[in-house]
Amino acid sequence: MADAPAPRYRTTFFRLLTFLRPYKLSMIVSVVLAIASQAAALGAILLTRSVVSALNHDNLDELPRLVGLVLALGAGRALALAGRRLIAGKQALQVEMDVRQAVYAKLVRLSFGFYDRHQTGQLMSRATVDLQAVRFFLGYGLIFFFQHVFTVLGVGIVVFIISWKLALIVVAIAPLLIAVAYRYSHVSHPLLRDVQQKMADVATVAEENIVGVHVVKSFAQEQAELRKFENRSEQVFAQSVQANRQRALYIPLLSFLPLLSQAAILLVGGHMVARGTLSLGDFVAFNLFLAMLVTPLRALGMWIGQAQRATASGERIFQVIDEHEDIRDVSGARELPAGPGAVTFERVTFGYDADRPVLRNVDLELRPGRSVALIGHTGAGKTSLAALIPRFYDAQQGRVLVDGADVRELSLTSLRREIGVIAQDAFLFSATVRENIAFGRIDATDEEVERAAQLAQAHEFIEALPDGYETVIGERGITLSGGQRQRIAIARAIVIDPRILILDDATASVDATTEARIRDGLREAMRDRTTIIIAHRLSTIALADEVVVVEEGRVVARGTHTELAATNGVYREIREHGLLERVLGEEEVA
Amino acid sequence: MRVHQPGGHLSRARGAEVDDWSWRRTKRRLGTLYRLARPYRARTALALISLLGATAVALAPPYLVGLTVDHVQGGDTSQLPLLVGAFLVVGVLGVGLGYAQTYYTGWTGERMLADLRRIVFGHLQRLSLGFYERNRAGVIISRLTNDVEALDQLVTDGVTSLVQNTLILAGSVGVLFFLDWRLALATLTVIPLMALATAWFRKRSGRAYRGVRETLGALTATLAEDIAGMRVLQSFTRERPAQDNFREVADTYRVSNMQTVSLNGVYFPVVDFLSTMATVVVLGYGGWLASNGDVSIGTLVAFLGYLTNFFDPVQQLSQLYNTFLSAVAALDKITDLLDEEPEVSDRPGAVDLPSIRGDVAFEEVRFAYGRGPEVLHGIDLDVAAGTTVALVGHTGAGKSTIAKLLARFYDPTAGRITIDGVDLREVSQESLRRQLGIVPQEGFLFAGSVADNIAFGRPAATHDEIVAAARVVGADDFIARLEHGYDTELGERGSRLSLGQRQLVAFSRALLADPRILILDEATSSVDIGTERKIEQALRRLLHGRTAFIIAHRLSTIRDADLIVVLEHGLVVEQGTHEDLLAAGGRYRSLYGDWVEAA
Repeated sequence: MADAPAPRYRTTFFRLLTFLRPYKLSMIVSVVLAIASQAAALGAILLTRSVVSALNHDNLDELPRLVGLVLALGAGRALALAGRRLIAGKQALQVEMDVRQAVYAKLVRLSFGFYDRHQTGQLMSRATVDLQAVRFFLGYGLIFFFQHVFTVLGVGIVVFIISWKLALIVVAIAPLLIAVAYRYSHVSHPLLRDVQQKMADVATVAEENIVGVHVVKSFAQEQAELRKFENRSEQVFAQSVQANRQRALYIPLLSFLPLLSQAAILLVGGHMVARGTLSLGDFVAFNLFLAMLVTPLRALGMWIGQAQRATASGERIFQVIDEHEDIRDVSGARELPAGPGAVTFERVTFGYDADRPVLRNVDLELRPGRSVALIGHTGAGKTSLAALIPRFYDAQQGRVLVDGADVRELSLTSLRREIGVIAQDAFLFSATVRENIAFGRIDATDEEVERAAQLAQAHEFIEALPDGYETVIGERGITLSGGQRQRIAIARAIVIDPRILILDDATASVDATTEARIRDGLREAMRDRTTIIIAHRLSTIALADEVVVVEEGRVVARGTHTELAATNGVYREIREHGLLERVLGEEEVA
Repeated sequence: MRVHQPGGHLSRARGAEVDDWSWRRTKRRLGTLYRLARPYRARTALALISLLGATAVALAPPYLVGLTVDHVQGGDTSQLPLLVGAFLVVGVLGVGLGYAQTYYTGWTGERMLADLRRIVFGHLQRLSLGFYERNRAGVIISRLTNDVEALDQLVTDGVTSLVQNTLILAGSVGVLFFLDWRLALATLTVIPLMALATAWFRKRSGRAYRGVRETLGALTATLAEDIAGMRVLQSFTRERPAQDNFREVADTYRVSNMQTVSLNGVYFPVVDFLSTMATVVVLGYGGWLASNGDVSIGTLVAFLGYLTNFFDPVQQLSQLYNTFLSAVAALDKITDLLDEEPEVSDRPGAVDLPSIRGDVAFEEVRFAYGRGPEVLHGIDLDVAAGTTVALVGHTGAGKSTIAKLLARFYDPTAGRITIDGVDLREVSQESLRRQLGIVPQEGFLFAGSVADNIAFGRPAATHDEIVAAARVVGADDFIARLEHGYDTELGERGSRLSLGQRQLVAFSRALLADPRILILDEATSSVDIGTERKIEQALRRLLHGRTAFIIAHRLSTIRDADLIVVLEHGLVVEQGTHEDLLAAGGRYRSLYGDWVEAA
């Protein structure tokens, strides 16, 4: 997505239009209503012309009828406007929702690999900023386009019929006005975008300063920080002034061009009226027609710029929608067969980047209902090995089997439903504690949720929260401590009653006292499940029945705690570090 | 456990409610704005003058058209060149004044905002840590971003639009009465109807737009959370329910947005129809007057011209109201922040703390956070220079409070703290903190290069000094292996480094500042055994020859300390060396039992 090819505007443009297909009828009705409202305005000017002519010839009989018609046209126009706003507005919101759903539906199907490569903020901007540009274009932009084109053509034809000489003057400004408006939109947009970018920099500096305020104060760096902030803030100022200068130039110019044209009409038309070659009504009407043309001409110029931006945004949205789904059900994927939870790795080679394997030719068999600790240095491949079981990634070579079935032939849902994952950073959602625990099984009963919480040693502190299980936690609620979050994550994994449990560094970010408490929960959770434990602490590793040592993508040793203590260096190092403290402690306490 | 008020991210979007319209408050608001504008009086005046000029000029064309019509109607072309000339002059003046007005208002507005940002940020730098612990970071940041931006809309566009539209409105009414008072009076009968429609719309739309902001906030939050938690979502096969939930949230937004569409769909056509009615009055009643010879046709044409100018300002002013309210709300929040006083400030005539040896004493120190309960109940400590002190005890025992008092992030409510016999309150904060090194948990890093981060406390440090500091704590190896070595950009909060690596950089940073006294909040997380060893070693080197206070979590750190201080409920219950305390068989011994169990 980052190194996208040059935008193919034309294809993207037409592809965007396909979002409108379900709304063809309302689209047509909106355009017809938009044209009708403009036609009414055109008619009102023609009637005004007749009024002026009648007055000029002291012909008062016509007046009531003409005025009545203006009023009727005005009422008709108001109705058409209201109808257009309601119908087009509704359609715009629906299209927006459709595109949003399409993006979201894609996001939930994209694999872990995609999320490794893209940051949340980047994806958010596709789903918000880019989406908005597309929405304005599809919702209103097209309708306005038709409306403006109609106005320009309609007025053009009518003025030519009345007086082709004056009409030339009126129409002469059209290309100029469109060009200037387009130029303005073209020049100002990058500037404004730059202002926004610089503003975001200011926000970043501010955020870091405030989140890291204790560091700033500790090192007495307030003045340096102020200078840094000021520097960014001044850049915003400079850029804003630059953008403002463009505005100051173009906006008055856009008002001036029509005046120029109007001056010409006054001069030429005035002479024609005096000479009797143009009626006073026509003269007045020309002035009014000119006023009617200005807005659509300006808008057309801006519209071109907007359409280009919407297309560029559409391009970015389509990049997400078209992203290849690397992990998905094969056609005819079958359900995970019933079984005790045996896991087999057969000559598995895997790398996040195919040229740089993280796992090399791994053969490993995990016996059902037993637990295995994976140990090894950071980057040895422990997490990658575990991530292949729920098919977060696919191996490049070899197979991963769960209860005899190749995971790639199974439906993702049936596979993942039987695997509980507890990661180092327990991500919880802004929802109640109950909803978080029942995350993987929405239909879990209250008893099941509480039972899981009890097993995870979480029940007690949950009961002490202001609303117990109904307390909202996370971003929009109460902040829990790391240990508390971790215990809820354990309960969440227990509730789905999985065959296989993966503890990926689940106890790394909590202190020793909390770890001791969580350990009891883990012991319960692991009972009768095939379990993989990835950990650095001896006390957590000790929960496993046996230990597998991973080094540079290979399984280098496997055995019970006693066996490995005798034969493996890495294990001995961990064990000695842990035991040293334990032995020392026990001796002294004893 | 910190309790956060729910919906924090939404209150940012809300906030368009202003309930205090008292004169005192209004005066304060105006005072703040005046102080911001004062340095730029000349430019503000220029902006105002050009704004008046541009508006006046904009009023001229319909009148000139009317005059032209009257002249040519009688077949008189003698005045035509003059009129057209006037028309062109008006046009050119419009461009010049328009440029000046847009430029000067824009410049002054942006300048004021840049100054405001600096003032707010500078004020934030002066506020004590207590302020940051009482307020959520997100809320503070939004003062600098969202609130300043809300003011931006008022200061740059809002004020101009307000003045310009009001002037055009008033000016048009004036010209209409000047042209013909009877016709003007008749035409303006639509004004009360317009006012009614606008009042109705303003009330309803205020509510509707608030609804849109709230539902959009919820939508954005849901999306952000789901993307951030996508891995969990997929692990627990929640794709379908999540999609259903998202559809629901998106639909709520759509429905609330539809309300604004409906409101606009009624209001704007009504305004349009009212302007048709005004035209009808001009054509009908005006036509009748003209046929009696009471007004000229040119006057009618001028009236029609002013009417097209007339209803735009009304619509724009009705939309300005919401901008205005959010800007006032933002201004209030910013002034409240600026009124916040730092709890810890240098006393007048505070001297610089001379170069310190490192003797630290707490004498009968008591402390409470704000008006909360007392958390330290008389702490006495006597620490000789060069001693490593390990503070141990359960969460909430008072360990970090002691550390914060020593760094003078707070002042004790009773008793005193001295360094080399000097009371901390007698010296300037900067001179104190320059000689302290504080290493927070998990090593908070900033975006920027590795070198920038290490040199954070001593920006003037040379590259060699930076490398030397990194080498001493053993961070040199991994830094050298990064793609650009010391110049590698670390990303937001150092996200490109592992936990253990971040700690080593934080150690280098503290070492380079070469503090006499070190305050260290040890990380609780466990890292792999290799890194663990490195950290232990680095710590030993860092502590060498300094007075150090450590909020300790590692068994090895505690055992190696020269003095262990056991805290419980804000009191020192035991102190001594590891051996002494174990032998004494008190609180320390039972705590120690826990740790050994966990190791």
